[in-house]
Amino acid sequence: MKEKIEEVTALIQEQCLWQFFSRSWDREENIEGIMTMTGKILNGDKINLVTPADKAFYSDAKFLAADIKKKMPWISELDKSGVLELIEGVKKRLLYITVKKSRNCELNLSNY
Amino acid sequence: MPLKLFCCDECIPERQNHVYVKEEGEDTTQFLPLSNIETIPGSLSERGCSYCGAKLVIGGVIKDCIQMIHGPVGCAYDTWHTKRYPSDNDNFQLKYIWSSDTKEKHIVFGAEKQLKKAIKEAFKEFPEIKRMFVYTTCTTALIGDNPKAVCRKVEEELGDVDIFVVECPGFAGVSQSKGHHELNIGWMRDKVGTLEPEIKSEYTINVIGDYNIQGDSYVLQKYLDKMGIQVIAHFTGNVKYDQLRCMHRAKLNVVNCARSAGYIANELKRVYDIPRMDVDTWGFEYIKVALRKIGAFFGLEDKAEEVIAEEVAKYEGKLAWYKERLKGKKVCIWTGGPRLWHWTKALEDDLGMEVVAMSSKFGHQEDFEKVIARGRVGTIYIDDGNELEFFEVLDSIHADLILTGPRVGDLVKKLHIPYINGHAYHNGPYMGFEGAVNMARDMYNAIYSPMWSLAGKDPRVVDSPMWSLAGKDPSVVQEL
Repeated sequence: MKEKIEEVTALIQEQCLWQFFSRSWDREENIEGIMTMTGKILNGDKINLVTPADKAFYSDAKFLAADIKKKMPWISELDKSGVLELIEGVKKRLLYITVKKSRNCELNLSNY
Repeated sequence: MPLKLFCCDECIPERQNHVYVKEEGEDTTQFLPLSNIETIPGSLSERGCSYCGAKLVIGGVIKDCIQMIHGPVGCAYDTWHTKRYPSDNDNFQLKYIWSSDTKEKHIVFGAEKQLKKAIKEAFKEFPEIKRMFVYTTCTTALIGDNPKAVCRKVEEELGDVDIFVVECPGFAGVSQSKGHHELNIGWMRDKVGTLEPEIKSEYTINVIGDYNIQGDSYVLQKYLDKMGIQVIAHFTGNVKYDQLRCMHRAKLNVVNCARSAGYIANELKRVYDIPRMDVDTWGFEYIKVALRKIGAFFGLEDKAEEVIAEEVAKYEGKLAWYKERLKGKKVCIWTGGPRLWHWTKALEDDLGMEVVAMSSKFGHQEDFEKVIARGRVGTIYIDDGNELEFFEVLDSIHADLILTGPRVGDLVKKLHIPYINGHAYHNGPYMGFEGAVNMARDMYNAIYSPMWSLAGKDPRVVDSPMWSLAGKDPSVVQEL
């Protein structure tokens, strides 16, 4: 699983701008929202889009899920709990790289 | 060798913290260049100023307002007509520039009366124009003028005009980035929400950080029209002043240039709960992703696929022709900041080029996180690069092309290396599908131009092909 987490993290690092929003709270919100939605799409769960933010997360997650399916054929072999484990692992890695250990000095400024 | 000190920087070793060479297995938790901090004394910076960031980049693009520069006349001239952002009203904003033309006596006695006079005179000379941007400059900020009070007074007196003041003296901040920030936050605070738009579609967006460079906004607008999406405002390509006052009514903010305009997208999210969606609108593959994501947000996936299919059919073959000729070519991207991360993978994935060095004038660390995550191993990443560093880079790597501005462009031309204007383009637009082909065409024309081999020849040498091409008699040259 560790290699799979690294593989998905590398794909996101290279492709996705949402992990690099301006402040730590934006990044945390995006990582949680988009990765959770990606897990639901990969698992074929019912998705209920209530808020504008939900729709935005869904748009990014839909593209990411399609990219994962296209580039990582092993994803189809994971069961639902495997996908959830993968998603949680990727969330932790992204938070580590872009928030917790980020060297970006502006991340925690209170104003934009 | 992650952080690199150029030989030319031996006497300013602090520069080492601004230059990074990516190695295999590294990520941005280990190394991230310092950026958006004061230029180190001794380094001849290529940066602009806060006023330039506000006026030249964002405000000056708006097509239906007077651009009043409160300061000496040179500040007006130096940000006029140097960037090509056309408009569909006969390029009003490119034709004119206005200045309060402050002189020594105004510095001594105050320039507020002079500003008021200039504003009223400008409105009188252009009676059809009822909107104005006023920019402060170093001079008028230092003497303590209060342009906002002046403008409120003029608004009261004239009754039918609306004026926005940007407090952007050149000395504020460390680069033009501060001017972007001031204009974004000021506009959000003073103007957004002061007018209601006519809503024509249930799908509404703002396109943020697109300045209609040589028609970029027209390209994006065409795609969005086909998808049935209403653009409330482009921030600020081909836009009217009053459209920007209505930005609060969009359902989605689509952000291209996150550096110059991410602030207003963040504030619109915070205040009006409008989601921010960051996209790349440069790049043949990236624009597909952008349209698909916008389509997914509104449930317009089919419409997005129709646009993509139509555009791919038109331009895919052309791009492939250029790819065949550009693959393996080494390129440097020395622009403002965001184009580093927008372009690096697009050039590599779409055209097979290799981006070997990138330098940012005003990027923040956020921009370096993006570009290092996307960029290649072995590539040099530079913050606030100077000319001597550029020379050293070019000595250490063979670059086939530099994407940069006209100033550095002229520098590299003297080394007989082609450059493409990375700020205002050579022959754009560069956004969207057709833009990707235009950019490839310009790069091809630059790299393969016979001019470069001729430029290296000395015309005084008898067998120089320059003279034989021109049909001259070599003996005449010999005598000279």
